[in-house]
Amino acid sequence: MVYDEGKEYLVEARLNPLAAAKGLDLEQYVARLAFDADERRKVIDALTINETSWFRDHTPYQAFTDAMLPPLLEERSMTRRLRIWSAACSSGQEAYSIAMLLDQHLPAGWEYEIVCTDISTQMLERVRAGKYSQVEVNRGLPATSLVRYFTRVGRDWEIAERLRERVTVKHMNLAAPFPMLGAFDVIWLRNVLIYFDAETKADILRRMLPMLAPDGYLLLGSSETTLDMPADLTASWRRDQIGRVPAYRRASAMTLSRTGA
Amino acid sequence: MNVLTFFEATPDEVDAPTVDDLQAVTEDVWLALVGEDEVLLPRLVPPGTPFDATGVWSAAVTISGGWHGVVTVELDADVAGRLSARMLDLPSAEDAEDADVADAVGELVNMIGGNVKSLMPGPSVLSLPAVAAGRAVFASDVTEVCRIDVAWRGGPVRICIHVPNASGGSR
Amino acid sequence: MRAMIIDDSRAMRSILRRIVSGLDFETTEAENGQVALDQMHAGVVPDVCLVDWNMPVMDGYTFITEVRANPEWRDVTLMMVTTESEQRNIVRALAAGAHEYVIKPFTPDAIVEKLSLLGLVPADSAQGAWA
Repeated sequence: MVYDEGKEYLVEARLNPLAAAKGLDLEQYVARLAFDADERRKVIDALTINETSWFRDHTPYQAFTDAMLPPLLEERSMTRRLRIWSAACSSGQEAYSIAMLLDQHLPAGWEYEIVCTDISTQMLERVRAGKYSQVEVNRGLPATSLVRYFTRVGRDWEIAERLRERVTVKHMNLAAPFPMLGAFDVIWLRNVLIYFDAETKADILRRMLPMLAPDGYLLLGSSETTLDMPADLTASWRRDQIGRVPAYRRASAMTLSRTGA
Repeated sequence: MNVLTFFEATPDEVDAPTVDDLQAVTEDVWLALVGEDEVLLPRLVPPGTPFDATGVWSAAVTISGGWHGVVTVELDADVAGRLSARMLDLPSAEDAEDADVADAVGELVNMIGGNVKSLMPGPSVLSLPAVAAGRAVFASDVTEVCRIDVAWRGGPVRICIHVPNASGGSR
Repeated sequence: MRAMIIDDSRAMRSILRRIVSGLDFETTEAENGQVALDQMHAGVVPDVCLVDWNMPVMDGYTFITEVRANPEWRDVTLMMVTTESEQRNIVRALAAGAHEYVIKPFTPDAIVEKLSLLGLVPADSAQGAWA
């Protein structure tokens, strides 16, 4: 993970409480991280930026229901099953936003699974719990969806069981080799590549190729692109513009299917 | 374990928000009004201590219906002035006139009270806020069931919940 | 775009005014539902109303019911901004004709994102508008 200079104070502000909890100063604490995996995990939790809202940026979700779902529904009419990957899922707003859309747009008899992965075990716990604070449900969630899919439980709002049971969580570091997850129809990898250096970014995008179904879609954040990547990557990812949203497709697989393979 | 301690260990029948609930509601409201840079700090104040600021503003809202209670906020006058200046976008706390402070503190207790109401059995109605310069005075027919003492920029802030004695039991 | 901010607290109106002015809305204000209705009858019809629930004279729930009863105002978007946060109250407000609902306390982003959901501000305003 690479932080710009200038953001150092932020790193310090987030690490100081952890160091203090161990009775160490910052330097001693950082030295300890080399051999203390538990503390390393806490640091990852503290440094990972978890600011998120429902239907973030709005347009990718619209592109998903309007442009990606119709062909997928046609292509998968035999299996009647969709698999979605929310990579770097954070506290789960992305995954549950997708779940709400699928709940509304999938025809009867269809199944779906949303796999959530994140480097932060604390975040995965939150996704599994499916509970959000009042401040969180204020952020970009249509009021009709709030009353339809959530139940007030004390201070929190709890997401409906029928959505929660479609979501599975898995601890995973995007920078390390991916475990066996099976192929996905849509991969949401939004606003996370920006935290990696260029080499790791390229590596992640290379390893994403076999994770995506040949006719699937990869979504990146609005400031992220494969265009500035090494030549092999720009050749293997084809950019499809859906309205204002760029979706990335597997170039070779598309060519194969077009030539009637 | 004898029968007496068994009964004492059983939670009161008093239906009231927990200190954690009130703390979280207050922090959310404060964060929204003043931003992330200046947090509320906890203050250790022994039970029964009167609110100890020199100049005080206080405000109250009443909840009635499925649950009955009064939510009060008491603030150090300096804190009240700064908060009002922040909410009304005034250059400084000195620019906040009494009417400004009364308005801002009223909205503060409205937000906290409304959120407290939503945690309790309903349906209930929230009153309009009553605001006064000076300490809050509580009638003898109500019992304090929840209180938090915090400080903002060194100035004390207290938030209390009182319920009528009939349902408040004997504490 | 014109926004009418309806809240009995001047401080709250000031907070909301700063947020929507930042999105290039022209704003008008009213301290309760009746004053807002009077303004609308006098020809000040906004694109969106940001409406508090608990107000003296006429509360926000009654206000949205009144606005929805007048077909001339069918294009006015209604967004509740209130500390009323029970599920049943949100359902009631939506049933009465509110399009969106923001619970107090809120961050500026929450207002921007909801206006974006309603198509009243471009989607990209929702990010960084208040960074």
